[in-house]
Amino acid sequence: MVRRSRFSVFSMINGLLLICVAVSTIYPILYITAISLSETAYVVQGKVWFWPKGFNIDAYQQVLSNSKIPRAYLNTILYTSLGTFTNLLMTAIAAYPLSQRTFFGRKYFMMMIVLTMFLNPGIIPHYVIVQKLGLINTFWALVIPNAIWTFELIILKTFYENMSTQIREAALIDGASEYRILFHIVIPLSKPALASIGLFYFMGHWNSFFIPMIYLNDQTMYPLQVVLRDMLIFNEGNNASLVDASALAPQALKNATIVLSMIPVLMIYPFAQKYFAKGVMLGSEKG
Amino acid sequence: MPSANSETAKSEVNMAETSRFKAMLKHIRKDRQLLILFIPCLVFYIIFRYGPLYGLIIAFKDYSVYLGILDSEWVGFKHFEKFFTGRDFWLLFRNTLLLGFYTLVFGFPFPILLALMFNEVKTRWFKKAVQTASYLPAFLSVVIICSMIIDFLSPTNGMINKVIQAFGGEPIYFLIEKSWFRPIYVISEIWATMGYEAIIYLAAIAAINPTLYEAAKVDGANRFHMIRHITLPGILPAVIVMFILKTGSMIRVGYEKVLLLYNAMTYEVADVFSTFVYRKGLLESNYSYAAAVGLFEALVAMIMLLTANVISRRMGGKGLW
Repeated sequence: MVRRSRFSVFSMINGLLLICVAVSTIYPILYITAISLSETAYVVQGKVWFWPKGFNIDAYQQVLSNSKIPRAYLNTILYTSLGTFTNLLMTAIAAYPLSQRTFFGRKYFMMMIVLTMFLNPGIIPHYVIVQKLGLINTFWALVIPNAIWTFELIILKTFYENMSTQIREAALIDGASEYRILFHIVIPLSKPALASIGLFYFMGHWNSFFIPMIYLNDQTMYPLQVVLRDMLIFNEGNNASLVDASALAPQALKNATIVLSMIPVLMIYPFAQKYFAKGVMLGSEKG
Repeated sequence: MPSANSETAKSEVNMAETSRFKAMLKHIRKDRQLLILFIPCLVFYIIFRYGPLYGLIIAFKDYSVYLGILDSEWVGFKHFEKFFTGRDFWLLFRNTLLLGFYTLVFGFPFPILLALMFNEVKTRWFKKAVQTASYLPAFLSVVIICSMIIDFLSPTNGMINKVIQAFGGEPIYFLIEKSWFRPIYVISEIWATMGYEAIIYLAAIAAINPTLYEAAKVDGANRFHMIRHITLPGILPAVIVMFILKTGSMIRVGYEKVLLLYNAMTYEVADVFSTFVYRKGLLESNYSYAAAVGLFEALVAMIMLLTANVISRRMGGKGLW
């Protein structure tokens, strides 16, 4: 009897603590969204806590009519789609040869690749190389220098290694080329693994701010995160144009921009969790 | 006779070499399509992963963009001397080490604890819901996380200060108060990474043989006994690997977050090697000096990784290699 009640007390405390954790991660986003949808008066008085008060979408209209943010949004979409595509293609065509046990020089190539995980000379030499290649202020600087992430390459290579070799052997006997096998058999069969590493690549591009910040000088090329950082953290000039001209609370405008930037991520997040968790676990097994 | 012998031996060696060479050519020819597929990757690693390592020699030169890496003048250890004798060094060293150390020590147990707590939940939908919520921050960008921190800690509108005022306290200027920088950094780091890292430990827990729990239950063990004697030993290898990796990256304090959160008032406690490298190198175009500081940072990180690995092996655990 005593024992039983202690168990349920334990479960209740455990459950409550976990609810606290979940609230701590969800609440900030709820709060930001509520502010962005509320009427100025309520925001200024600090009356918005959970749900929007005086629901309206003025902040969104204003953010979207400002030329800077829609353009940054388009830039981000361009960089992310092009970047993720390049990443996946490069990783897939690199992982395939490495996954073949008899591949020429496999051991040495793998050593060369894995070694780079422990040798990280820092940002300056990277910057110097990118500069030498004339990539500064081009969007290639955001795509090419990080075209392959070693971790994701190893994950995909391991996935290919665990695939059945019979199909490949049969296809080779039928006279199919390696290219054909890779693009028509291996890649279609590895969709779950590609989705998993693709998610990491996608998140990396969508959320990156430091790399575009150092490699791009032209403000019209800035992706969303760099513009956000200028707006939110440094309150640079654009706030004068964005904020003062309106009766809207600056907080509402900021938060509307944040919410807009989070929409794609939050939309894929519930569906992506399967791949996300898988990616982390695959990584940890190799790690 | 001996000479003839050595002749044949030589020719045998020669033949062995040519045949090995021929075999290699044959191997290359057989794998030519695979090799062609591999070329982009090879080029990428040589230029963008080994290129920067070669570029590191600018730490020993006075690099000028016009002269290039090779033709810039050698200056030996000038930049290192300047750095080690300058007054920035100890400040940066202390800040980097403390920030990394606090993040490691306070942050490390949380994901493990969280994974153990998830594991005790028997209601599946609840477990899934709270777990999904817990790694939501992993999907947010550093910029968004930092702007949330700034908003929530704002002395005028911030939630935290509203609560403090509601209890009759004075509002605290968190972000310009030196003593608050490290706690803010560490707590937000725990908040942002806890759920994500718990996934790794949950995977390790899932790999434990369930018959161990059944046997323990028969023997009358309660859940604390089982956590203590089955779950924890079961995930120990994963814990050790994570600990080694974290120690190795301890000194690599995330410059993005520091860059976004620090300001003139908190430089004294917030400035770390990587932000210093960014300012000197990319804002002041002092590439060689910044590369030297970066090289020092990389060397310290590597030494710490090796040390953690050795310690873990001495203590009877497995190292990374």
